[in-house]
Amino acid sequence: MEFVKNILLAAFTSVIIENTVFSRALGTSTLILVAKNRKNIFGFGLSVTYITAIVSVLTYFVGKLFDLSGNSYIYIPLVYILILGVVYILTLLCLWRFAVTLFVKIRKYIHMSAFNCAVLGAMFIISEYCETFTDYLVQGIGIGLGFVLAVYMTSVVYDRIYSEKTPYSFRGFPLLMIYIGILSMAFWGFSGHIANF
Amino acid sequence: MAQIPEESSNKNIIFNALLKRNPLLVSGMVIAPAVMTADSFSGAVTLAAAFSIITFFTLLISSFVPKKIVYAVRIIMYAFIGALVYVPSAIALKYFIPDAIDNMGIFFPLLIINSFIVSRSESIFFLETKGKMMLDIIFCIIGYDAAVILFGIIREIIGSGTANGKIIGMPLVFSAFSEPFGGFILIGIMAALLRLLMLVIKKFGQK
Repeated sequence: MEFVKNILLAAFTSVIIENTVFSRALGTSTLILVAKNRKNIFGFGLSVTYITAIVSVLTYFVGKLFDLSGNSYIYIPLVYILILGVVYILTLLCLWRFAVTLFVKIRKYIHMSAFNCAVLGAMFIISEYCETFTDYLVQGIGIGLGFVLAVYMTSVVYDRIYSEKTPYSFRGFPLLMIYIGILSMAFWGFSGHIANF
Repeated sequence: MAQIPEESSNKNIIFNALLKRNPLLVSGMVIAPAVMTADSFSGAVTLAAAFSIITFFTLLISSFVPKKIVYAVRIIMYAFIGALVYVPSAIALKYFIPDAIDNMGIFFPLLIINSFIVSRSESIFFLETKGKMMLDIIFCIIGYDAAVILFGIIREIIGSGTANGKIIGMPLVFSAFSEPFGGFILIGIMAALLRLLMLVIKKFGQK
């Protein structure tokens, strides 16, 4: 029971309280691109979640093989990029071999779901804060789901933000940033911060 | 002799890179490091230096990747080149700005696959010459650096009441702007002001 409770708490933390986009701004540029097209949101979100889950498990083994302190900051990114590259290629090959329809559907954006700051950032965050294998896996899935939540919350206002009724200077990207800022403020409150301003 | 198209004249490339399609304030690229690390002038300068070195050399080397290699492999090659460029950049930055790596944290290595590199690595196949591509990249980098430094200065003044660490006696300080959400909101406001400026320039040009 304690184990399940800990997993749920870790998942809640990574999806809501430490949401990768709203608390660390990771993957914001990707989010802006993806939220434009509501059709792709869940497909893209699922592929991000799948990749963060796989790479976070592999990051666990990297932590066992390499010393992550001292001068490791020089070569660890190279190791992480190699992991991402291998996962990306193997995923594409598996899809091409066993699920051609899915391959055709997602090949347009699968590179974006693998090579973005949210995924690489997840690898760094997880290696810094997690200890057990379960922690790595739960956080990996949680970060991916947190990204999906952020994309969904952004996409629901897209039409209004780009509406002709919005003043020209603020239409689109400027208002989107302010909206993400307001959401980020709300999530900031979730993490127990008390405003001193 | 064929006339150079308006869109790809050198003047236009520079104007677009600096203002019309500014990577941070118009295209919304490389937002995370700006929001998380550029909360002061020094933080912004460090980010600008790290971004410039990694992005320029990664794109320069990536421009030699042949188009005949399939896109799925090319994208890995760009990321791998970025990770290789990161190694000497990290050593150099540690040498010249000792606190830079600690201050930037995970946002320094994240520059390896920043959205600007991912989008611009393919631009070599769309611009006529490598010279034009490099001009576009250099001025885009300058445009991003200028925007992020201005963002850092404004954020430090209104968020901490200081300018490059020195108290300047601001009557009111909004510390919320030093937080990530304040960063998002400030980018939004600056983007709106830039759009207004572009509108004024356009009207002035028409007159």
